[in-house]
Amino acid sequence: MSDQRHQTGNVTVPSTNTLRTIERRERGLALNATAKRYLGALRTGRGLTGLIFLLALVALALLAPVLFPGGYDQQSAQSFAAPSAAHLFGTDELGRDLLVRTLYGLRTDFSIIVVAVPISMILGTALGLVGALSRTASAVIQRLLDIILGFPGVILGICIVMIIGPGWLALVTAIAIGGLPVFGRQARAALLEQNTREYVTAARTLGVDKKTVLVRHILPNAIDPILVNGALFVVAAIFIEAGLSIIGLGIQPPEPSLGSLLNVGMRFIESAPMYILGPTLVLILLSMAFSLLSDALNDSVNRK
Amino acid sequence: MLRYLLSKLPSVLLVLVATSIIAFVLPRLAPGDPASTIAGPDATPEQIGEVRARLGLDQPALAQYFTWLFGVFRGDLGMSYIFNRPVTELIGARIGSTVELALLAAILLIIIGLGLGILGGSVRSRGGRVAVDSVNTLLIAIPAFLVGLLLIVLLGVVWPVLPVSGELSLFENPSLGIQYLILPALALGLSQAPSVARLLQTTMLTTRGEDFVDLAVAKGASPTRVTFRHVFRTSLGASVVAIGLRIGDLFGGAVIVEAIFARNGLGQLAVQAVNMRDYQLLQVLIMGVVLIAVISQLLTEIALSALDPRVRLDA
Repeated sequence: MSDQRHQTGNVTVPSTNTLRTIERRERGLALNATAKRYLGALRTGRGLTGLIFLLALVALALLAPVLFPGGYDQQSAQSFAAPSAAHLFGTDELGRDLLVRTLYGLRTDFSIIVVAVPISMILGTALGLVGALSRTASAVIQRLLDIILGFPGVILGICIVMIIGPGWLALVTAIAIGGLPVFGRQARAALLEQNTREYVTAARTLGVDKKTVLVRHILPNAIDPILVNGALFVVAAIFIEAGLSIIGLGIQPPEPSLGSLLNVGMRFIESAPMYILGPTLVLILLSMAFSLLSDALNDSVNRK
Repeated sequence: MLRYLLSKLPSVLLVLVATSIIAFVLPRLAPGDPASTIAGPDATPEQIGEVRARLGLDQPALAQYFTWLFGVFRGDLGMSYIFNRPVTELIGARIGSTVELALLAAILLIIIGLGLGILGGSVRSRGGRVAVDSVNTLLIAIPAFLVGLLLIVLLGVVWPVLPVSGELSLFENPSLGIQYLILPALALGLSQAPSVARLLQTTMLTTRGEDFVDLAVAKGASPTRVTFRHVFRTSLGASVVAIGLRIGDLFGGAVIVEAIFARNGLGQLAVQAVNMRDYQLLQVLIMGVVLIAVISQLLTEIALSALDPRVRLDA
């Protein structure tokens, strides 16, 4: 193409078709680069470990009804049994298998994460980006986020539990609201950073309207930090579920969740210290998986 | 500096006013009515109405809000419906326990966080770095209440060296009080430390690549001096912010840790207040926690602006 342009004497303007082809190829390349960054993250030691932990836990949670079709309420003769081949994590106060209860608890936790975190991520990011459209709206939203930020996670949870009563919905609401300032501030920071970039100025100069610049140009470039924070926020979400359930304001026993199992296990901690083994182990693996993934993603995104 | 503080004032005031409204409204949105709780299950509607009038609950909400707010300014936080005692007295009886816990936890957080951070930012060998990273990764994945439960199993059940449940005031009996305090405080501090440590580690590693560090090395400064005097000092800013932001979380985490260690602090009081729908008590507790979080955020920003003049100029 370059020899085409530098013909002596006259300047050849590339045809619209050529431009389209170039643009398409560039987009393809850009997508590849994005995919490469994310896949690259998974190829590091941390990313791979996180991914393996996560996939294993997801598989166990999904397969729990197949592996243990009896459900989590089946009782056996022996209560407070220590871990053994028959009961890998032992049994609880009613002789129910703790491995089964932990896996069903993990399902509860996943169901909370899968609903609450994306809601928080999308709403929070949208709130943060509104700043690009209106100065007043931006100021109001930032103050609102400041107020939410003033409430430590558990206290926010307590407030919401008070209104809608303890349970799944309260936890999802608490987590979704608690994440708004995290994503809102992140999106705003990314927005401010991208706003000064040349491609944004270029798009504006070309007369592209504000909304399109925001959605088509800025958002795709701001997605990396949002995903990194998203993975990290899952860890916070897991802690909020477990924390509220432990003080009796989350999932209510006998329904299992990682937190509600710890809530009951805590009462028997001196006589049956192995009770909390299962939920503890799974909770640590789960939060470690997400924090490792977030780390790996962060490293790979910043190295680009 | 003063101008910077003044520029922060409207936003802080706004957050506080909004919080006072939220703290007032939230408990009242909850289903259930303290008047019928107090009057008992067999009370007639007239008796419940009588209780409502006595508590001032029949007044318009706005009037109730201002009565409460003016009371707060006079130092009167109201009467707890359920305990039938002044809120000031209830909180006064418990606040010592929570403050002792949070203070020791904050000290441990700073020591462990900065210690791990300096270690991570100055260790050169690959093995050492992997070790520090692994400790951080593991600690980040374990929340305060889980550290607490594990400490109870380890040091209370398997190898019983410390008391795991109950408390004793530090002022009444310092040597025994600290034994009751050390595990819950460690649980709180340890779980918050890695976020500070990792931030410090990253900043220190970046700072180490700067020219002035090379200069210090070239001038023959000892590795220890380079680490502490040159790298650590200039890298401290971000960690100060991280510590400040953690302080608010410490109080949130304290609610759960108190429940685990059966400490009779403000956290336990809050859980009781939620279960019994004690508006008067709850609104003060919510307000208090947010106030602490806002003040620690503000202090953080002040500390940061003192450390780094660019922050002041930006505002």
